[in-house]
Amino acid sequence: MSMTRRTMLSVSAASLAAPYFFTRSAQAAGPIKVGVLFSLTGGLSIIEKSLRDATMMAIAEVNAAGGVGGRQIEAIVEDGASDPKTYNEKASKLVIRDKCVTVFGSYTSASRKAVLPVFEKRKNLYVYPTFYEGFECSKNVIYTNAVPNQQLSNFIPWISKTLGKKKFFIVGSNYVYPREMAKVSKILIQQQGGEYVADEYLELGDSEWGSMVNKIKNSGCDAVISNVVGDSIVAFYREFKNQGLSQDKIPICASVTSEIEIAAMGPEYAAGSYSSFPYLMAIDTDANKSFIERYRKFVNDPKAVTHSPLQSAYMGVFLWKQACEKAGELEPLAIRDAFKGQEMDAPIGRVKIDGENLHTYLTPRIAQWGADGQGKIVDEYKEPLRPLPYAAYGETADNLFCKESGLDSSKLKL
Amino acid sequence: MQATKLRLNLAVYLIFIACILLAPMFLEEFALNRLAKFLVFGMLGVAIALSWGYAGILNLGQGLFFGLGAYMLGMSLKLASPTSMAQGSDTPVPDFMLWNAEPGSKTDLCCINGGSWLWIPFQSHWFGILMGMALPTLVAFGLGTVVFRKRIAGVFVSVITLACVLLVRLLIVDAQPLTNGWNGLTDLGVLTIGETEFDPYSATTYYLVAISLSVTLILGRLLTETRSGMILQAIRDDYNRARYLGFEVSSFQVFFFCASALIAGYAGMLYVIVAEFASPSFMELSFSITMVVWAAVGGRGSLIGACIGALLINVIETSVSETPALVEAWKVIIGLIFVLVVLFMPQGIAGLASSVTDRALERFSGRAARLRQADSQHQPAE
Amino acid sequence: MVDTLFIGLSVGSVLLLVALGLAITYGAMGVINMAHGEMVMLGAYTTVMTSTWLGLGIWWSLPIAFVVTALVGLLIERLIIRRLYGRLLDTLLATWGVAILIQQMIRLEFGLSFFGIHIQGLGPGLQNMSIPDVLAGTINIFGAEFNKYRVFMILVCALMTGVTWFIMYKTSVGMQVRAIIRNARMAAACGIDVKRVNALTFAFGSGLAGVAGVLMAGFKTVFPDMSTPMVVDGFLVVVVGGIGSLIGSILAAGLLGQVNALVAWGHNDVIARAVVFAVVILTIVLKPNGLFAYKRR
Repeated sequence: MSMTRRTMLSVSAASLAAPYFFTRSAQAAGPIKVGVLFSLTGGLSIIEKSLRDATMMAIAEVNAAGGVGGRQIEAIVEDGASDPKTYNEKASKLVIRDKCVTVFGSYTSASRKAVLPVFEKRKNLYVYPTFYEGFECSKNVIYTNAVPNQQLSNFIPWISKTLGKKKFFIVGSNYVYPREMAKVSKILIQQQGGEYVADEYLELGDSEWGSMVNKIKNSGCDAVISNVVGDSIVAFYREFKNQGLSQDKIPICASVTSEIEIAAMGPEYAAGSYSSFPYLMAIDTDANKSFIERYRKFVNDPKAVTHSPLQSAYMGVFLWKQACEKAGELEPLAIRDAFKGQEMDAPIGRVKIDGENLHTYLTPRIAQWGADGQGKIVDEYKEPLRPLPYAAYGETADNLFCKESGLDSSKLKL
Repeated sequence: MQATKLRLNLAVYLIFIACILLAPMFLEEFALNRLAKFLVFGMLGVAIALSWGYAGILNLGQGLFFGLGAYMLGMSLKLASPTSMAQGSDTPVPDFMLWNAEPGSKTDLCCINGGSWLWIPFQSHWFGILMGMALPTLVAFGLGTVVFRKRIAGVFVSVITLACVLLVRLLIVDAQPLTNGWNGLTDLGVLTIGETEFDPYSATTYYLVAISLSVTLILGRLLTETRSGMILQAIRDDYNRARYLGFEVSSFQVFFFCASALIAGYAGMLYVIVAEFASPSFMELSFSITMVVWAAVGGRGSLIGACIGALLINVIETSVSETPALVEAWKVIIGLIFVLVVLFMPQGIAGLASSVTDRALERFSGRAARLRQADSQHQPAE
Repeated sequence: MVDTLFIGLSVGSVLLLVALGLAITYGAMGVINMAHGEMVMLGAYTTVMTSTWLGLGIWWSLPIAFVVTALVGLLIERLIIRRLYGRLLDTLLATWGVAILIQQMIRLEFGLSFFGIHIQGLGPGLQNMSIPDVLAGTINIFGAEFNKYRVFMILVCALMTGVTWFIMYKTSVGMQVRAIIRNARMAAACGIDVKRVNALTFAFGSGLAGVAGVLMAGFKTVFPDMSTPMVVDGFLVVVVGGIGSLIGSILAAGLLGQVNALVAWGHNDVIARAVVFAVVILTIVLKPNGLFAYKRR
């Protein structure tokens, strides 16, 4: 395996010829530096710590299996402290000072947006493991989780056809992702001949659900689409049941409620509700069972749960390894190019990186939560679905907006 | 002795300013950018010290002014970004406006969504800069006039400012079509004035920040030495006495409240230049309280003390949080520092330095006196 | 409409539960305890721990959490608050540091996570506290359906307020506390052991927060910074109500709760919160000492 060390220096404008050769020979056998940037303190550490753990587990596994092209990976872990300011600061440290060739990080869009300028201007690479709202076409980010079309395009038709629901109450936390999900949902609801009775938001992190659930109760809807995020989810489901609403009559159909929140709210509150994710702990394959088992061992917690971003964080490292080996060098943009079309068998099943928009082909799945806290997969797309980050604006698989060359904004329909 | 102290104080200012101006000779680009961010925080420390230390107004919502300054310049820079330029319309249009657009509306700043016309003047960087200073000052003027005319003081001022910053943050997050809500303004262009580009990692930008801070320090120090500065301190020390002496107390308070807001707004603009984004997190309560802690650590009664306090805490924070063994525990250490400083160094570093110099001067002048005494005793013996 | 008023009442009672302890410590001792929210959080964690490790339900958690948080409060008073009397704003900063410390200790499982030891019920994640069947679902009162858990919260809140009132106005300790609120030095001159009474007051205030934490655990979710927004809300209630005034806090909590519920019902939740902040600002501007100022002498 021949790997040049161009990378280490391509970003450092100040380096002179002499240190170049020195660095080159000294680094040739040294480890490959990558950054791992998640919040280990502050409110978001609830989820982001598990993403850090999954990334570190994947790195440990790659290293144990001989590393990348024979070289070990050295992970530099930084704490984003649940604050975009810190994220921005640490990202530039990882890219400029530590000269990492790739950084794995972020859970929220706010933190991704805050670090993007660093990666775009410094021609570096960011691997982002969370489902998000789409409408982004960066050439310096690999998106390893879903965009709205991969979470909703079979969810709403399924609710409408299989469950026979027609009147939807859309509720979410007040920020970009839930609002974009609501927009895509409305399009799909109309296509199904249904209607939405309300589109309401609660401040992020607010958990006083009394008024909202009361509104749902009086709205006459027959299903709730929930894009509620974070710890508010738990309070929502509890209030829902405590105000006497039943998941049998008015099911909550959620895009963010994952195994973590289900475990935290007490399974009896979610029993009968639905979630749509490409990855669910309930995927019944040996690969997934082994993954869950290894993760629990890694974090030394026999009750630990896995969830969709966690799986993507894990899978991202392996895809990155393949890309590095294909690129044959450690220049971030060369790795980016090698990412295109990369495929692997992850715990989630077969995945593939789209060559045009650098998002991931994923299989949409719908789960119904049982009284034991386990999801049961009730519907599954037949094959991995192409990611369309601009689906809400008319993007289709035949008419891509975000291409290899960049975003074609003339196609955006308002 | 007072004169010696004043000279020493002046020396500290000069040494500090010399240090920050010479820093680019020793630092690589990343360290320079990081230091620039810290200097911006130092400027916030100065703003807090001015209102808290000199006027006795503990503002728990300083983030409001910082955030407003940041958003004003951020809007200008957002319109200057390549993405906003390339929307195929006559005016640049921020990308997030497209996804918040009213269906079927024209892609143009005038009418893409309700209120987007407010952005039109921000196409000029000068307008953004002007607003970045004017808006925080105006808001502070309005707020200050109401609060200080009503003779609201102490903790009640803190609560009002706190409620204000939370209220504005809520509104900014809610007005997503205009502000991009929670995600804030990102993907910004580079500020260009004339031929000069302020790239965040360049020495030019660093100098902009360092010189701004130096000027702020000097002007702030001069301001506190003026008559109005003296009156202000009299108000802080005894509100009623100052009032009975016939001073229009509230106007002095409003003036210094505005000055503090102006500095914070200006710091917000500088932060947008060095960090390349503006976000509602600037208006989170924890950030505003953190600023106050910087000033407390540095010494609330001293402008330069508060500035150094901000720098110091940030240096400690980054170096502790970037030590691999402490990456999860650094907040414990920061929390401990806060508690210990408040308990054992009530006047902060500046207070400590001041009492140390006092003692040294006393000892020095004491020894000099003793020597003189010894001399005079010797002389008759000769 | 009855629904909305009921929700307003329950929102107000949640606010009051958090604010009650703050009102006492702030009024009597001149301490702005930013770590008060962390006491709520500790109360919630006590509930989680007693149910996972001892198998005890919410009924037992109420007194246990009260005792645990009261003891922690006593410790904080001894170590920190005692040194800061008379320095109102310094107490705010020091307790802010304490809040960061407590949060991070829970997250790091008191440092054990460094040794790879994991304690069920601690750590950075979300914790689960199940509530007994008696409190789940709805109850029918005069033909209207009410959320049982909220009814329970309102009752506990009323009970705690009653107990606080009784202690403050019917016991000798309470009389001493009221004397200190009026004029601490005169109280000391009359032979009241101000230090001891203050320590007890702080412990009692913390204990009340602990009880609030138990109720929160069954209502929201339990995680290390669950209470950061609560302390701000509690603080606003105290200031609007008038420092040192029990009745003021009760009315302010009721007012803000109803404003929140009514606006949320008419418009939406985000506007409701904005209106609450606006009401707070207006109240202070119009009545600078709060709705019910307690006269100090």
